[in-house]
Amino acid sequence: MGSGSLIALMIAAVAFSGIAILISKILLKTTHNIHKGEPYECGIPTIGPSWIQFSIGYYLFALIFLIFDVELIFIFPWAVVVKQLGWVAFVEILIFLFILFMGFLYAHKKKALKWM
Amino acid sequence: MMSLGAIFFYIISAFILLMGILAVTTRKIFRSAIYLLGSLIGIAGLYFWLEVEFIAAVQIVVYVGGIVVLIIFSIFLTQQSGKEMPRTNLSRNIFSLLAVIAGFLLSCSLIHQYGFEAGSQPFDNAVSRIGLYMLNTGKDGFALPFEAVSILLLAALIGCIVIAMKSVPTKSTK
Repeated sequence: MGSGSLIALMIAAVAFSGIAILISKILLKTTHNIHKGEPYECGIPTIGPSWIQFSIGYYLFALIFLIFDVELIFIFPWAVVVKQLGWVAFVEILIFLFILFMGFLYAHKKKALKWM
Repeated sequence: MMSLGAIFFYIISAFILLMGILAVTTRKIFRSAIYLLGSLIGIAGLYFWLEVEFIAAVQIVVYVGGIVVLIIFSIFLTQQSGKEMPRTNLSRNIFSLLAVIAGFLLSCSLIHQYGFEAGSQPFDNAVSRIGLYMLNTGKDGFALPFEAVSILLLAALIGCIVIAMKSVPTKSTK
């Protein structure tokens, strides 16, 4: 058991999806036309290429997201031990979040999170 | 016969290397970012294999969820995100190959020099331990650095707003 069944499971998983794709490759009659390559097969024809340049302002969203993403990392270990430590941990995370909330307020005030 | 753990290690490593090679050889920059995503997920898999689950979660949240999103954003900000990049010339290929070999030899020599040996006692990497140290206000606690991190993040946030808001164009763009 153990390792053998794990390998068997892996082989079965690969074979299961692989055989399904292979059978559909063999049995399907494939046709190609220009409409199949469009983003929406029915509806209004698209205008221009889909690779347009985005506004540079949206980069801020990514940057701010990254900072709160890192903040999240510190909340994980806190959440595991908060019950054990009680009020001390609670006050500490409140200070932590308060300082970062100031940053959020600053971003909001500077209209960095405004959709443009 | 290799042990099952070793087999998994080689599978994950091969995946990381394959994705890394694809990321630098593909000529479409967006595909390159997606291959980088695959490579970073593979590294997270390696952390899971090492049973350091918290580090694996950090790897996924910060690198896969944050850095790659940042890279994809910056690709979309350029004008040529959908086009193929030009082929590199021979001299550049040779020099990048030399750089790869030099880096490989450097890492090999470092590993050989220090000969990382497996520790005898089991490594306690529970998240609760990290949390206890992080929030401990006592002598060997890290409560003050923990709060300092929030100041650091605040400074980073304000810094990126101050620097990036300057370059925000007027409403003429779409």
